Amino acid sequence: MNSHNFGTVLAFELRRTLLRPIYWLTTLSVPVLMALIMALSFFSSSSAADRASQASDGITFQYSDASGIVLPDVATRLGGTLTAAPAGAEQAVHAGTLDAYIAVPAHPGTDPVRVVARDEGLLNTSQWYSLGRRLVSDSAAARLGDDRLVSLTRDVPMTLETWKDGQRSTGLSGAIIPAFFLILLYAAILMLGQQMLNITVEEKENRVTEMILTTIRPRVLILAKITAVIIAGLVQAAVFVVPALVWLGSTGGRLMGGASSSPLAVAEVTLDPFTITVAALLFVGGFGMFTALLVAIGSVAPTVKDASSAFGGLVLVMFLPLYVMPLVAGDPGSPLTQVLTYFPLTAPIAAQVRNATGTLSIPEAVAAVVILYATTAALLWVAVRLFGAGSISYNARLRLSALRRPRADAA
Amino acid sequence: MTSPSVIEVRNFSMVLGGKQIVDDLSFEVGRGETFGLLGSNGSGKTTTLRALLGIYTPTSGELLVNGAPFNPATSGPLGYLPEERGLYRKEKVIDVMTYFGQLKGMARTAAALWSMGFLRRVGLEDHARVRLDKLSGGQQQKVQVGVTVMNNPDIVILDEPTKGFDPINRRLLLDIVEDQRRAGATIVMVTHQMEEVERLCDRVLLLKDGRAEAYGTVEAVRESYGGHMVRVQYSGTLPPPQGWQVVTAERNYAEFALADGTDDQRVLRTLMDAGVTVHRFDATTASMEQVFLSIYGHAPEEASA
Repeated sequence: MNSHNFGTVLAFELRRTLLRPIYWLTTLSVPVLMALIMALSFFSSSSAADRASQASDGITFQYSDASGIVLPDVATRLGGTLTAAPAGAEQAVHAGTLDAYIAVPAHPGTDPVRVVARDEGLLNTSQWYSLGRRLVSDSAAARLGDDRLVSLTRDVPMTLETWKDGQRSTGLSGAIIPAFFLILLYAAILMLGQQMLNITVEEKENRVTEMILTTIRPRVLILAKITAVIIAGLVQAAVFVVPALVWLGSTGGRLMGGASSSPLAVAEVTLDPFTITVAALLFVGGFGMFTALLVAIGSVAPTVKDASSAFGGLVLVMFLPLYVMPLVAGDPGSPLTQVLTYFPLTAPIAAQVRNATGTLSIPEAVAAVVILYATTAALLWVAVRLFGAGSISYNARLRLSALRRPRADAA
Repeated sequence: MTSPSVIEVRNFSMVLGGKQIVDDLSFEVGRGETFGLLGSNGSGKTTTLRALLGIYTPTSGELLVNGAPFNPATSGPLGYLPEERGLYRKEKVIDVMTYFGQLKGMARTAAALWSMGFLRRVGLEDHARVRLDKLSGGQQQKVQVGVTVMNNPDIVILDEPTKGFDPINRRLLLDIVEDQRRAGATIVMVTHQMEEVERLCDRVLLLKDGRAEAYGTVEAVRESYGGHMVRVQYSGTLPPPQGWQVVTAERNYAEFALADGTDDQRVLRTLMDAGVTVHRFDATTASMEQVFLSIYGHAPEEASA
């Protein structure tokens, strides 16, 4: 292919995009927002725990114990004294002369511990929960006398292996990377879709095509602009992915730093080469296909407004497989699932869901990828031809009969 | 053997949307020549230019630039100012000009330097870092002219170049076209401004319904289609035409188109013999405007309406 001026167009388009403040505003807003929310969540729970801890240090309370579990030493350490007059203690809290009264029932494992406390604002309610919990759990731990037994009451570390047909299943851990690529595809399309439309619509609206086509072939121009959009998308993807990878690396591949017995916590990210390869291929192919489709739409539409209406319809098609995701994930053999797996517009999503849930066999994956890439190539070809004919149609809608006549492209 | 013709169009036909736009058109443009492509709306001028530049694929025939179909990579430096024109409105002037300079084969720095020099020439130096959509229409036109002539093109193609230009920018454009001519560029110009044709063009081709109606030097076309004319200021009563056609007859002024073989001196003698007092008698060839009128039946400015 004659690639005359491909680099010039690519550099210009990249410069236009990457130097635009709105691009970085949009790109950084997501991770910054996520980091902000995570930081707020972390600090608020930490400070809540600290406040609870600090607050309980200066608290005086009375308690009644129908279970016989609470140890006086533990209660004293926490600032509590046993009361023989629960009603009086409650009245004292009502009157504001006592910080809190805690009633431990006969069976605290099944019946709730009742805490009556002074109101110190919504953000400080956690200290009372902490106090009541510690009174009972610290007493129970002290009674056990064995640290191993105590830790087992709090958490049970676990690992899980599942097997099917003699093969070890990846389980939830195998779904993480495909799910990540799926989210990335949606994010990329939603964030870059309008730019892909503008590749061709902008040329028409600016009336710049005729001048520029004397310096570069239309297919080279389109491919350079698509490449620029893709690179801009990859930059955005990197901004999203790198912090996630750093965090995953710091946690040793574990998703949660907290309770190690939760399903997500035991789901260390599984690096299965086949799954990752299929996930990446589906992402690249899906992104390429939607790009080509949007470029084609832009070539036909006379204005941005017309093109944007079509974009809305396309997004709807993209989300369609999600509505039937339980079927796709749970019944891979159903006719609808099969259609969605191979139909190019839905394959990037349906096949990815099946890849995530481990229901996509190797032949199916190969077939889906081949169909997807063949469709992408065909759509790109159509898009370039439509652009060549439609770029000078200006306010008129292009007729598809223009596809029949090849352009005078020199070798 | 290298052809002296820079542009060759051979038996070019174009059908668009089921309609025959151009029918078996052939012409050549020599190196260093300024060539006028004229015609009323729908006669196929812009279609011919677009087919020449590879924007359209010809239905039949061939259109060659320097002996081969147009190729941006190999056909040499070319400047094109289309009828439908525009630039990237949301980009800065200097960025757009530099970009087009690079597309035309200039290094980035050279393109930027040339652009600044041009902007200085047209009084837009202070607007180099301004977005194009912030410029007035006339200022944007100047930028477009600059983009057209960047990198000293060997071939300049102008499709109704002064359309929408105010008189100042029109003058600027024509001066720039003259500069390109003097530098030896080959110029193809589509225009309805006959005074531009008479001033700039060496040869012309007039298209009518997609076919060549007239083709040759300006002088030859004027003689072939307009013929000789006389303009008379007079007193008295004009005699019946004897070898001429009355184009204009007013109370004391008349214009006659002379038939082939009619001598202007004979006309003068005939008038005097008829008792007409001739105050002024001018013999000339028909203007391109009159040629246009005789071929298309309406004035050139009506063609561009």
